[in-house]
Amino acid sequence: MGEFLKSTRFKVLLALLAFLVGIMIYSVTKGGYSLSGASFINTITKPFRFASNSITMEMEKNADRISNADAYYEENLELKKQIGELNKKLTEYDDLVAEVEELRKLVVIKEEHPDSVFSQSAEVMGYIANDPFKGFIIDRGYADGIEPYSPVITPEGIVGIIIEVSQHSSTVRTLLSPDLSIAAICSSTNRDFGIVEGAVIAAEKSRTKLIHLDKNHGIKKGDLLITSGNSGLFPKDYAIGTVTEVGVEANGLSAYAEIEPAADISRLRSVFVIMDFEGKDGKEKEDTDEAENTP
Amino acid sequence: MRLKTPREKRILYFKTTLRWFLYYFIIFASFVIMTSGTLLKPVLLVPVALLIAVNNDIMASAYTGAFCGLLIDIACGRLLGFNAVLLTVFCVASTLVFELYLRKKFINCMFIISVFSFLQCWLDYKFFYEIWGYDGVERIFRSVTLKVWLYTVISTVILFIVFKIINNLLMPKEHLTIEEVIRTS
Repeated sequence: MGEFLKSTRFKVLLALLAFLVGIMIYSVTKGGYSLSGASFINTITKPFRFASNSITMEMEKNADRISNADAYYEENLELKKQIGELNKKLTEYDDLVAEVEELRKLVVIKEEHPDSVFSQSAEVMGYIANDPFKGFIIDRGYADGIEPYSPVITPEGIVGIIIEVSQHSSTVRTLLSPDLSIAAICSSTNRDFGIVEGAVIAAEKSRTKLIHLDKNHGIKKGDLLITSGNSGLFPKDYAIGTVTEVGVEANGLSAYAEIEPAADISRLRSVFVIMDFEGKDGKEKEDTDEAENTP
Repeated sequence: MRLKTPREKRILYFKTTLRWFLYYFIIFASFVIMTSGTLLKPVLLVPVALLIAVNNDIMASAYTGAFCGLLIDIACGRLLGFNAVLLTVFCVASTLVFELYLRKKFINCMFIISVFSFLQCWLDYKFFYEIWGYDGVERIFRSVTLKVWLYTVISTVILFIVFKIINNLLMPKEHLTIEEVIRTS
């Protein structure tokens, strides 16, 4: 021991310790900045430390995965179950939102037309394949009280008429079809009558036509056409569409107007069927006539 | 084809059942495609019915034609039975033509299907549009009927390949191989 204390090795060791203590004291005086040597070492070793750290982390993760596999599996199952429940709730919520939206629309229409009886919202199941007049099928049939020749509408306006009813579905003929005629009146002038009837050329542009219009009419581009309610097939005062073009028929006897339907017929998602309304099939009219004739 | 063992019979029944299941799956898929969307679409059920008819006997062809025709009537909103009658006749006719005169080659199938699908489209146009004398009705022929026919003929190429694969895998062989002839003689 005495020999070691007197040896050069011990003196070198002491010197080293003193140097290190000196470094320590010097570092304290640097006020938070590392020494240049340490900085150099840090810079040199930085990429290696990164690599090493990531490898270690990955290994630790794997080790953790292996050691806690059962717990994670259980947790995963639990989370999947929760996600399933949340998705179900989300779907129900979306359905509810859609239903509320439909009901809101129905309330608006009902407020505007208190005399009409409407069906529940009917979803469009699909369009008739390759039909140039965009006929479609809805998911309500006679089980829901739908009858043939009931008008079909959206909150925007008239769409068409039911032509065939099954138990749970019905076929709708749109106002683009030449087989459907609707008595119409211009809402702005309130005196220009005509018949809205589909035409092949107009249907190509998803438009319909107002025909049998008096040559001295006052209709202009942008005017709104509404149902006149004369036929007994359609209720009064429902929007049909706006005038996009006005002209005189080739025979020169009457005028016509091209109409852009108020509802976008080629992109319908849901519609309403008017099951009963004032003036349907001329019932009320007959009743009134009878009342008038009664002494 | 000569069936020798119960095992061979079982395999034949299984293959036949699977083949018809695939046929009707294709019919169902074609119906779904035809009834979705608003754009013009090929009348897929016409080539499907005819391709089934080409490879089967008259009665099976007639039933399939009638069934596919009814589905077309539903999908296209036509008078129920109109296309059923047409397709039954077309399917029986195509079965007979292929049994008696033509070989089951791609070009022959395309020719027959093109002719029959054109007839179907043309009769549909005649009875559902032209007969009513709408103004400018010929525009429907140009802008709808001809396009639908063209799409139908184009889609036939894909359907032919699908049916070829199904028939190659699941159709019983019509003739014995040389080895089978030697074994059975």
